[in-house]
Amino acid sequence: MTPQIPAIHEIWVYLSGSPLLALILTLSAYQLGVMAYERSGRNPLANPVLIAIVLVAATITAIDMPYAKYFEGAQFVHFLLGTATVALAVPITKGLVALRGRVFPMLAALLAGGATSIVVGVGLAKLLGANAAIVGGFWAKSVTAPIAMGIAERSLLSPTLTAAFAVSTGILGAILVRVTMDGLGMKSWWQRGFALGVAAHGIGTSRAFSVHPEAGTYASLGMGLHGVLGAVLISIAVRYVA
Amino acid sequence: MIAGLVQILLFQGLGELVAKFFLPLIPGPVIGLVLLVAWLRWRGGVPESLDGVATAFAQNLGLLFIPAAVGVVMFWPQLRSHALAIAVALVASVVATMAVTALVLRALSKDDPG
Repeated sequence: MTPQIPAIHEIWVYLSGSPLLALILTLSAYQLGVMAYERSGRNPLANPVLIAIVLVAATITAIDMPYAKYFEGAQFVHFLLGTATVALAVPITKGLVALRGRVFPMLAALLAGGATSIVVGVGLAKLLGANAAIVGGFWAKSVTAPIAMGIAERSLLSPTLTAAFAVSTGILGAILVRVTMDGLGMKSWWQRGFALGVAAHGIGTSRAFSVHPEAGTYASLGMGLHGVLGAVLISIAVRYVA
Repeated sequence: MIAGLVQILLFQGLGELVAKFFLPLIPGPVIGLVLLVAWLRWRGGVPESLDGVATAFAQNLGLLFIPAAVGVVMFWPQLRSHALAIAVALVASVVATMAVTALVLRALSKDDPG
């Protein structure tokens, strides 16, 4: 008796019923994104997360897999967001050393910048006629994505749109930082870095590190402080203003 | 490495509990983060295994929000019909945020040699 070789559609049915397919899809798309990013010389436009989102979205559309079904498998990756958020405590603790003597200017700049992000983002989106779901995605988009999605969930805004706008904001910030800072005549690296971290979180921070180590340290501090303060203040603001 | 992961998970659990019973507005993991920062400051240093796990997470943070972000496929028609509003709001707000943050920082630290 020869062993029965299962037909290809049976393999497919089996695989698509387990979380494995969604996990393979997510991780391999991210891996391709990282490879493309490295090959492009770390160009912010070739952002690995953006590439992965486009690849996964295109694939599940092509194979007719409902998003809910994909998420059912990919939720194991999604679950780690909370754990990764807690792990941000380590870079923040290390960055706190850089605060010395600059606490007041940094906190004031962070509050002004965070408020600007909301007023301009939410305000313009509303003014230009975007619907409520889309406007809601702008509230936390300058906060690092894992925390931004947590804020969105608590505030009954869409975590998906928040994540998509956060990634876009990071990429745009990394691209536009040079022309903005040069236009304002900003000379000191720590100030440029901090501003980029506040406005463009993780993607801005990795950009800052690639330009100047001092800018990177302060960008990471700006991102961390915006994450923690944003989680408190944006949640309150959404509740009482929106 | 496992010791570091256990620590992070414990603080995450603690954060979720505090959020559930005392601070429902703030995401549990952020409370866990703050508690872990406080503990590390009090302890006066980051244990090696915790540092290793945190670095691994930091380097691949982007991977973790792919599953949720792929949900944009469901918003595609809305996003397309509001594409201009979204693009303008995203670009203007990131430039304004960087500019305001930088200007306030410069104005308030004039006598800082930097």
